[in-house]
Amino acid sequence: MAQDPLHVLWIEPGFPGRLGGLADWLTRKRGYRSTFYCHTLSPRSHWPTSVGQGLEVVTFGVGGAARDPAVAWTRTLERGLCYAYGCLEVLEQNRPRPIDLIVGRSAGLGSSLFAPVYAAAPPVANLLDYYYAPRANDLADEAGPETPLSYTLWRRSMGAIDLLDLEQADLAWTPTDWQRGLYPAEYQASIEVLCDGVDDGLFRRLLDGGRGRSRTLAGRTLAGSTRVVTFVSRFLDRLRGFDRFLRLAAGLQQARQDVVCVAIGDPVVRRGLDVSSFNQNYAAGLLSLHAELDRDRFWMLGACDPATTAEVLRASDLHVALGRSYPVSRSLLEAMSSGCVILASDVEPHREVIDSARNGILVNAADESAVLSFALRILADPAAFAPLAREAEEDVRERYARSVCVPRLAERFSKLVLAREGRR
Amino acid sequence: MNILFIHDAFPAQFGRLALELKRGRGWNCRFLVQALSSCPTPTPEMLEELEIRLVPLAAEHRNSDGVPWPQVHGHYLEQCQAVLGAVKASAWPRPDLIVAHGGRGAPTIFLREAIDCPIIVYCEYYFALRRGDISYRIDLPAAEPAPFFPRTINAATLCALVDCDAGYSATRWQKQSFPARFQHKIETYFDGIDVQLYKPGPAPRSIAGRSIPPGTRVVTFASRGLESIRGFDIFMEVADRIARARQDVIFVVVGGEEIHYGWDKLHTQAPSFKEWVLKRRTYDLDRFLFLGRILPEELATILRLSDLHLYLTAPFVLSWSMVSAMATGCVVLASDVAPVRELIDPGINGLAEPLFDVDRLCEQALAVLDDPGAYAPLGRRARALVEERYSLEACIPPLGDFLERVAGRTLGQGSQSANQPQHEEQNDRADGGGDDCAYHSA
Repeated sequence: MAQDPLHVLWIEPGFPGRLGGLADWLTRKRGYRSTFYCHTLSPRSHWPTSVGQGLEVVTFGVGGAARDPAVAWTRTLERGLCYAYGCLEVLEQNRPRPIDLIVGRSAGLGSSLFAPVYAAAPPVANLLDYYYAPRANDLADEAGPETPLSYTLWRRSMGAIDLLDLEQADLAWTPTDWQRGLYPAEYQASIEVLCDGVDDGLFRRLLDGGRGRSRTLAGRTLAGSTRVVTFVSRFLDRLRGFDRFLRLAAGLQQARQDVVCVAIGDPVVRRGLDVSSFNQNYAAGLLSLHAELDRDRFWMLGACDPATTAEVLRASDLHVALGRSYPVSRSLLEAMSSGCVILASDVEPHREVIDSARNGILVNAADESAVLSFALRILADPAAFAPLAREAEEDVRERYARSVCVPRLAERFSKLVLAREGRR
Repeated sequence: MNILFIHDAFPAQFGRLALELKRGRGWNCRFLVQALSSCPTPTPEMLEELEIRLVPLAAEHRNSDGVPWPQVHGHYLEQCQAVLGAVKASAWPRPDLIVAHGGRGAPTIFLREAIDCPIIVYCEYYFALRRGDISYRIDLPAAEPAPFFPRTINAATLCALVDCDAGYSATRWQKQSFPARFQHKIETYFDGIDVQLYKPGPAPRSIAGRSIPPGTRVVTFASRGLESIRGFDIFMEVADRIARARQDVIFVVVGGEEIHYGWDKLHTQAPSFKEWVLKRRTYDLDRFLFLGRILPEELATILRLSDLHLYLTAPFVLSWSMVSAMATGCVVLASDVAPVRELIDPGINGLAEPLFDVDRLCEQALAVLDDPGAYAPLGRRARALVEERYSLEACIPPLGDFLERVAGRTLGQGSQSANQPQHEEQNDRADGGGDDCAYHSA
């Protein structure tokens, strides 16, 4: 199907967030004009290349409850409405050129909710991430009796903004089947599964091999014989299994002198569902409990730009993703795309992308000795596990590469716009 | 069977139902409510025979009327918390069924933390984004929340719908206001009108101490609140024209000055919509009797005197007062909107004209007042319809069966039957990750 250029209004709390890569690809490869409305900006090094060249980024402010550093959990939706209103105010000031399509991602903050007040005609497509279960998935699986009741009530109430987004959307999509399955049964049939893909141009294995030879990583030189074990997450938090990675690293360092463990991610956790670590340096607290760790061989690089992350993944002999049940992280797919051997927790979302022993290894992450044992086997004989990495790479090329995924999304967007125009 | 009814007010939709279920089926009916209602008020029998507890409200609790629209959902969650706390604190036996209603969503979404039993929500209405209910009166000045609130007002309703086991609406139109994806969960059962109370018959020709001479025509208008969504302003315009055309008419207006829906207070900047309307033109107020809120027994008497009952609602939940007027055998002239059309077949059991067409409304009203006898058959057929399909006698048995069927999911009767509506009778025949959001206990 022809994919004519569209002018898309993208709305997400942060840029580039999740939609930025999508907007960038469509701007560069399909001639889209993209106006991206957001509240916060990541550092410029994280911005995609089309910013200023077809992709215009506009920030909006927020007022009311959204300005407070913390509000009671019952006011979550109110905060979201402040984002939605802030976005609308700037839209009405700027009055962007005629819009063909509105694409939003609330991330719990309802930013696109009022955009149709400014532009009622274009269809709305919403990317949905995660519908909370009161006592399951993410960290709730391990919540102890000390967990306050109000935390569970908060989780029970968190779906409100997604339900409004779903009702408003002409197209709602999740990146994976598992994510769709979290939503109430009444909505599942109307949610499409459309992966937005990873940048397989940036995240790819070097043909001359980044592994097994002397290389420089984040400004440090590694000997060819050094084994690199990687962990990448937006935050170095329990949700994504940083605690497990740390214990594994301790075990690996003890067992092998040639191992360097590298963690990428912001040590300060800004994930609301992590009650115990929210706004705290979880990694620092955890490290203080692991005095045995050789810090010369445990590198924490902090939050890195995509280019640095790609460099690290290219050098990785083993990529570890031992997170709890939560949407598959983009970094896992990027690691697969980079030709890493993957050792991941055996949780449902991971099973959707990893077929254990074919394109990675799934392991019971609670079984520390099993995790360590698998990791040591992989590091002891990388060649034996290289076929898994090849399969993972191939899977990404076929199913998760941006060049494969985004045209499908573009096709859906085109259909949506044509259907709306046909109705007029 | 033990049923726990939850509502903002008592008796509202559930009081009479519960009384009938207790008397007819021997069920234990308990209530958690925020307040006893002043419209209608609880009867002594209800207070005596039903167990009613008030939900303890936190010191900082705000009445829902005073909550700014962006905070409405948070207010709902506070209400849900209060209901959960009250349920936990009660020493009542575990209910077999919870039936709940809330002005803006049943406050049930936390109850699973305390009770494992089926939950039914009363699906009163799902607000439209535009061209309906609170957004229908585009003829009036715009209010600031108008573009926004309709996009968020349904959040609580959606949460409760997702969580509940089943729901019911009073009319097909109300059911159809909900998203199609939820319709399989919702059945249609009207609440039931007391046709022994609301019935045709002689009445003393005196209202609020004012005698009504024989031959004087009585035009009635009733609404819980005298507000734009119920067309109070249009009624006054029609009444004014009728008053100018005929000297023998008095107008009896029932309803309080509170605003229950929409933004009349915002766009009028007046203490009440009634006051704003009355200031906009000169009326012969000697011809009007404003009674405020009155008891059902008083309303029944007044309706018996009515030669014409005007019901000029925007498309919104049908008022009991219209059905009560029909039960009383009144000739009802109503706005021609879908919820009205569900009961009124114009020319057969009532009359309907476009809401904004004051000329036609006046013309039709004057025709009725000119020759009431000619239109009396409409009132008789309206009464017959209510008796047959909308009376307590007609409505309570199937509604009771529905409650029993849903409760049966945990009483061993299986869930399949509960999922399949068995009573459709009057009702459905014509039915064609929040990474950036934080939990804070503060």
